Amino acid sequence: MDHILKERDRLLQRTARVYGLSFAVVATLCLVMPGAVTPATYLPFVPLLVALLVAQYRVGLSRSYLWVFIEVASVLGIVATITVLNPDGLTPAALSSIAQFTAASLPSVALVLSTDRVRLTVLVLVFVVVAAVTTWLTADSRSPLMTVGLLVLGWSIAAVVGIWISAGVPQAARRIASIGRAHRAERQASEIEAQRRQSARLLHDTVLATLTLLAHSGVGVAPAALQQQSADDAKLLRQLRLGATPTPLSSGGYNLEPVEETVLGTTLESVKQRFGRMGLEVAWHGTGQVLLPSDVLDAFLLALAECLENVRRHSGVREAHVTIVDDATTVRAMITDAGVGFILDDVDSARLGFKESVVARLKEVGGHARLFSEPGSGTTVVLEVPR
Amino acid sequence: MSFPPASENTLGLLAEVRASRSLVGGARRLVRPENPHRASLGTAFIGIGASLVCGIRAIYGFSWFVGYWPDYPNPVPALAAWILLIVVLATAFVTSSIVGDRLPDWMFALFLGLIAAVIVLDVVAIWDLHDVGRYATASLTAAMALLLVITLRRPSEILISIGAIGVGLLAVMLVNTRLTPENAASQVTSLAFAVLPVVIGVIIVRGFRSMVQVELDRVLVQSTVSAPRFAVGMLASEELARLDLAAEELLDSVATGRIALPLRPKTASVAASLATELRLHLIEGRRETWLYHAITESELLGRSVTLTDKGSLAGLLDANQRDGLLAAVWLLVNDHAKKTTVRTVQVSVGPIVATTPVALTHKLKVPVVITTTGVQRNRVDPSTWDAIRRVGRYSDSSQNASLRVEIECFVDNPADL
Repeated sequence: MDHILKERDRLLQRTARVYGLSFAVVATLCLVMPGAVTPATYLPFVPLLVALLVAQYRVGLSRSYLWVFIEVASVLGIVATITVLNPDGLTPAALSSIAQFTAASLPSVALVLSTDRVRLTVLVLVFVVVAAVTTWLTADSRSPLMTVGLLVLGWSIAAVVGIWISAGVPQAARRIASIGRAHRAERQASEIEAQRRQSARLLHDTVLATLTLLAHSGVGVAPAALQQQSADDAKLLRQLRLGATPTPLSSGGYNLEPVEETVLGTTLESVKQRFGRMGLEVAWHGTGQVLLPSDVLDAFLLALAECLENVRRHSGVREAHVTIVDDATTVRAMITDAGVGFILDDVDSARLGFKESVVARLKEVGGHARLFSEPGSGTTVVLEVPR
Repeated sequence: MSFPPASENTLGLLAEVRASRSLVGGARRLVRPENPHRASLGTAFIGIGASLVCGIRAIYGFSWFVGYWPDYPNPVPALAAWILLIVVLATAFVTSSIVGDRLPDWMFALFLGLIAAVIVLDVVAIWDLHDVGRYATASLTAAMALLLVITLRRPSEILISIGAIGVGLLAVMLVNTRLTPENAASQVTSLAFAVLPVVIGVIIVRGFRSMVQVELDRVLVQSTVSAPRFAVGMLASEELARLDLAAEELLDSVATGRIALPLRPKTASVAASLATELRLHLIEGRRETWLYHAITESELLGRSVTLTDKGSLAGLLDANQRDGLLAAVWLLVNDHAKKTTVRTVQVSVGPIVATTPVALTHKLKVPVVITTTGVQRNRVDPSTWDAIRRVGRYSDSSQNASLRVEIECFVDNPADL
């Protein structure tokens, strides 16, 4: 709220500046009409006008009362100059000019004097002084009633503008604040929804696997099987869309059974057998029995399987070693092969698979992965997850 | 079902997504001109104020008209002008509160036509008096009647209309009135009173709108303060949902045989790009912090703030520190009277400084450095320092004649949580 109030004051100040300056220019135009006033009038008029213009410009930047008072003083000075130096009666042009200065240009200060009670009080005082002095000074040339009427008109318009903006801004600010609250709720909902969809990791694994098959036009897979798989995956996605969090049981050759708190050993054995069937011998070392929460185990196994898949595809050897060690806080797997290896920099940029399947997956459960490799000397991946 | 053209590869699709993000972000959605919410954000109220001003002016003009009544050679056109004007003012006032945000083109045209008619009638009535500046009453109020629709049409349209009216009145004055020192001032005054209020009104409405937009932008961005350490942007879930739906449709089509196997290359490439996009979205998002989202989602901050936060350490700041940092950056960018000078702010967070001896509270020390351009140190608003103080202990200096602040920010160690 404070912030917008400050902005409001700036808006009022800028408006007051334009308001005041533009009518001051018009008033000056009236006064420089040939024969408007005696030439002697211009001598004191010019410095007073300069003071007025400077003060009106400064009002646009500063909230200080000083510039307001300088404005009032210079306008009253101008009125006094015109009336005193034209003792034979004022011409219509001079009267117009006085009217513009006192009832159009000077009331611009009402815009900056309308924001709180103290300022409103000052505004009333300023108006009373200006009205009294102007009416008294011009009483000879114009009926006091008309002068006062003109002043009331000019000052009330400016005051209405100022008060209206002052009152409108807090109103707008309240509405904006309620939009802000709605937006915060929307952001939280968006966050939760994204989380729900992102955590449907198993589902996306099977969908991605199927999409990848489709990306290769489905070549090499029985059309009936692919159609069946597509139907299953579409159903899972529909369930996700409708609000459920489906947990797929299988995708292609995978078998991803949901696990609550599962012993790592037995599951590792199934991974080993699966890779055995595909032609990669996996040798296990170290701890066989570790209990892990199901989401951590999921991430750990999927990352592990992904690493072994990489070994199977790219290393050129048919054997991999997996060493599992655990301590009080972490479970660590080291996947080693004696294959061709590769240059690390190539992988980071080119192989999204590692980043996405391994790093991101582990990161989500608080773990991480490190990769060591060099062409010709094999590859070692270290996976760590918290217990 | 339909697929995007096959020529669009994954990167093309992503580029499109990025581009659309900048268009449909929260703040922009609410402040686009065609949006019906805008008028409700205070401009309708300002419009009523403008009508009030116009009303005061009308009463003033009418009292002059009554005063001049004996002078008119034929007062009927002048009276007709006033009756028409009052009808137009009343109708426009009622209509403007009904139509809401924008006056339809035909209504605006009708409004301008009626105003022109009022001016013509008034000018006809005073033609033989040969002093337009003095005797014009309804026509001057009619020019100011544009204030009634000032919030309902674009500023340029209002300015063009008032410009045309001003030029028209000036032409009538020059043709009709022989300028003498006696009457020249009243011509100038009348013209100024007809034109200037509308111009000033346009300036106010424009300023008010931009103020509301900036505030809206700030409030929307403020919601990032309560985000978790790593957050997804506002549209992440929307995009993910879109991809999921596209995948679902594709898979469904394959399953039901609507798309024959093996796939045509075009469809296969769609599947490939979907898979890649889906992969990217599953890993993307969670590594960006609230501060990143705040800056990218904000129109104001996005333009002038750059963030360096390699370790995503901004996410560790607590809600109070975040609030302070956001407020400070906001004030540095926005809080100055001259909106013409360009200010930029660079925020760099981290790296973590090893504290020796290890602080008892086990807090991590994250240095936050704010460097700026175009921000003079002595021109910084005092509330900026209050905001910075909420982030941590700071020291400030000048670099290239612009402010530089270094903040020592202590945050909870995520390992302890």
